[in-house]
Amino acid sequence: MDAAGIVLAGGRSSRMGTPKAALEWHGSTLLHRTAALLARSLSGPVVVVAAPGQELPPLPSGVRIAFDPVEGRGPMQGVAVGLAAVAGEAETAFVTSTDLPFLHPAFVHRVLEVLQTSPADVALPFARGYRQPLAAAYRIGLAALIAKLLTEGENRPGQVYRHCEVRVVEEAELLADADLARLDPDLDSVFNVNEPADYAAARARPAPQIVVECFGALVGADRPRKQTVAAATLGSAADAIGLALNAHVVAALNGDRITRDPGLPLVTGDAVAFLSADAGG
Amino acid sequence: MAPGGYFGRVLIADVCGAGATATTMPIPEEVLRAYLGGVGLGTWLMHRLAPAGVDPLSPEAPLAFVFSPLVGTPLTTSAKFAVVAKSPLTGLLTDALASSQFAIAGKMTGHEAIVVRGRAETLSVLLVDETGVRLEPTPELAGLSAADAEVKLRERFGRTWRAAVIGPAGECGVRYATISHDGRHAGRGGLGAVLGAKNIKALLVRAAGKATVADPDAVLAVARDLRERSFGPATAKYRELGTLGNLLAFNAVSTLPTRNFTASTFEGAPRLAAEELHELRTVARNSCASCSIGCEHIYSRKGGGQQRMEYENVFALGPLCGVSDPDDVFAASAAADELGVDTISAGGTIAWAMECVERGLLDEPWLRFGDGQAVLRALDAIGTRSPGLGELLAQGSRHAAATLGAGSGDFAPHVKGLEMPGYEPRTMQAMALGLAVNSRGADHNRSGAYEADLSGDLDRLTGGPAHVAAAIGTEDRAAVMDSMILCKFLRGIFTDHFTEWAGLLAPVTGWQVDADELAAVARRIVTAKRAFNLREGATAADDTLPTRLLETPLPMGSGRTATLSRETLRGMVQGYYAARGWDDAGRPTPAQTEDLLLA
Repeated sequence: MDAAGIVLAGGRSSRMGTPKAALEWHGSTLLHRTAALLARSLSGPVVVVAAPGQELPPLPSGVRIAFDPVEGRGPMQGVAVGLAAVAGEAETAFVTSTDLPFLHPAFVHRVLEVLQTSPADVALPFARGYRQPLAAAYRIGLAALIAKLLTEGENRPGQVYRHCEVRVVEEAELLADADLARLDPDLDSVFNVNEPADYAAARARPAPQIVVECFGALVGADRPRKQTVAAATLGSAADAIGLALNAHVVAALNGDRITRDPGLPLVTGDAVAFLSADAGG
Repeated sequence: MAPGGYFGRVLIADVCGAGATATTMPIPEEVLRAYLGGVGLGTWLMHRLAPAGVDPLSPEAPLAFVFSPLVGTPLTTSAKFAVVAKSPLTGLLTDALASSQFAIAGKMTGHEAIVVRGRAETLSVLLVDETGVRLEPTPELAGLSAADAEVKLRERFGRTWRAAVIGPAGECGVRYATISHDGRHAGRGGLGAVLGAKNIKALLVRAAGKATVADPDAVLAVARDLRERSFGPATAKYRELGTLGNLLAFNAVSTLPTRNFTASTFEGAPRLAAEELHELRTVARNSCASCSIGCEHIYSRKGGGQQRMEYENVFALGPLCGVSDPDDVFAASAAADELGVDTISAGGTIAWAMECVERGLLDEPWLRFGDGQAVLRALDAIGTRSPGLGELLAQGSRHAAATLGAGSGDFAPHVKGLEMPGYEPRTMQAMALGLAVNSRGADHNRSGAYEADLSGDLDRLTGGPAHVAAAIGTEDRAAVMDSMILCKFLRGIFTDHFTEWAGLLAPVTGWQVDADELAAVARRIVTAKRAFNLREGATAADDTLPTRLLETPLPMGSGRTATLSRETLRGMVQGYYAARGWDDAGRPTPAQTEDLLLA
């Protein structure tokens, strides 16, 4: 989808007691998963907004970092920095915090779709009982307005929203999208982990079920052409079928993106095709 | 004295009336080192021997069978030869590779190349060995397939002779007729029509001796190493399923051109897939001489017989024409082989005609997408150039569309007149550039940029500078591989290509050759091809793709839509010219031209 992605990584993680961005997630980190999820979902740039001097765990290839020049002004400061960082490269952006481990591309697309088909400045989901300003879509042009309001002390989302057009998207409207209703019916996309217990519960969930198909010489006596495996990343899907993601193997995600990135996050509904990289003929 | 692996001379056979005369053309070592052999040396020979503006089907047009320094060595996959001429299909340079014993015997006549000119008064064969050349009339071979003619030639001349032969399509001037040897085809660009226009059914060669190499022990050592490596994972696909293993995978990633490029996935693909056919049919494997890969997969046919199947012939005679019955595709492939026509050009031209029928532009109501019997009927008409449809389609899609008009050129699936192979450019945009700029026309063997599209290293749907670099890289590597000559199915075993190839050439030739020198050879060969085409009237306007591909978005199986705009392609083409050091019109600099050693 034609939009940018912004991940706010600079929160204090005070209830978690450790930086949430660096929490382990299926072999990488929560931040890596979130940034990679946006990168695979969107055609525009993906930017991670970090606090001044914040050390970040490794990020997916191509994901940029924008450092917040000021600390402690709250999430809207991060939103403003992120939007400014992608000015001129997209019209809209999906903005998320780093702590949504089940964020699904179908949710991202649905929220962006609402914004892109309305005159509003913000598409703000209302899901699982709360407004979700950090799982929302914003017009890039809001960067200057938000920055100005921040200098005037209006740094809470609600204060910002008073100065622009906000399209609240209720659960029913979200789930009117057939893909989202099928792939994330409980809107786990906005399930966030704030405390160690949340994280433990999230980490204990089984990995999504992925349909894996092998082609050509990759099919073998102990590797059928098609099977379903539990895998949260491309690397774990390859491991599950005993396949090395080396120079001779590539994967196609949902018949579309070609990749060898073992850290690519997978989600419910994904289909992975493993192909021989030696494709000539 | 010629360097190792070479004889330092080319034989020119001038055919006239009932006889032929031979002339020896010495080739300076400087030229051999600059062009190596195969396609490279063939290009240089065309510059020197083809009169500017020559009609490719005239007696004056030269046809070169070119060998290479590696032919006759124990290096795996080296038994290959190039056939080079001005193409009757594109009007530009064309070259095609084939392999096996003809390459070895041809080189061991003591020549880097055998060039044929002139025209025989009756259908004849030309024989070349250490005693020279001679012409023998062979009216009994008229109308025979290449395979049947090879049998007859063995019976008449003996088993020591090896033959490169045309089928009936070459005899009657189908613009995409092939030249065949031992069931393998120099397929693209209509080289069979060039030989047929000379009234020559076959070139026969007989070995006279052996080539010497500079350091035999070192050659044996590198040959052993190369052979071992050829059994590794990089060639597994070719060994286990052959190139037909592409079909189902390409369908899964929306790169399988279907129904004349109106779709990129084909619902009938599973029926035609190698995976499926291997379960349902008896499959035999075969390999060229001096090859340790063994990519050929020969399938049993319903009702008896066998047919070798490759990705390109299945794509072109199957999905491109909407045909999903494997027996129909097998039959069409067999018919193409018997007639001696290039399956890609035949399938592309028939698919274009099917769309013309669908649009009401051509009154042949039986010629419908999905009808395998219609494909067979059309092939028969093409192979004999029967009046009407056969004559029209025998010209190829560009000429046919020019004849038919009514906007049918917009969906004629060719570049520079050569029909497109089975790689959808809108979903493979590095390949789109490779197809657009290649000197041979729409070609997947001289530009393998699809490798980059399927690598995950770039966004295959958004062409840009990375795609330019990828296209140039594969084109340069192909230029050297096609001139040394090594089979491209080996390419995956190399990591530092030019360095490793220099390590193969050095003990054969005795040259202190390195990667930089081979990179320069690659650039020189690409530029020489370009220069030949410019001489023959090509312009930057030819470096493009069919209008359909640039104006019609393509739905993918994933739900996304792939678009390749004219501006995106133009930007890549300009980036390609700049990276090659050419001007905005794609013309080499005077210094680059001087480096071609044409003076």
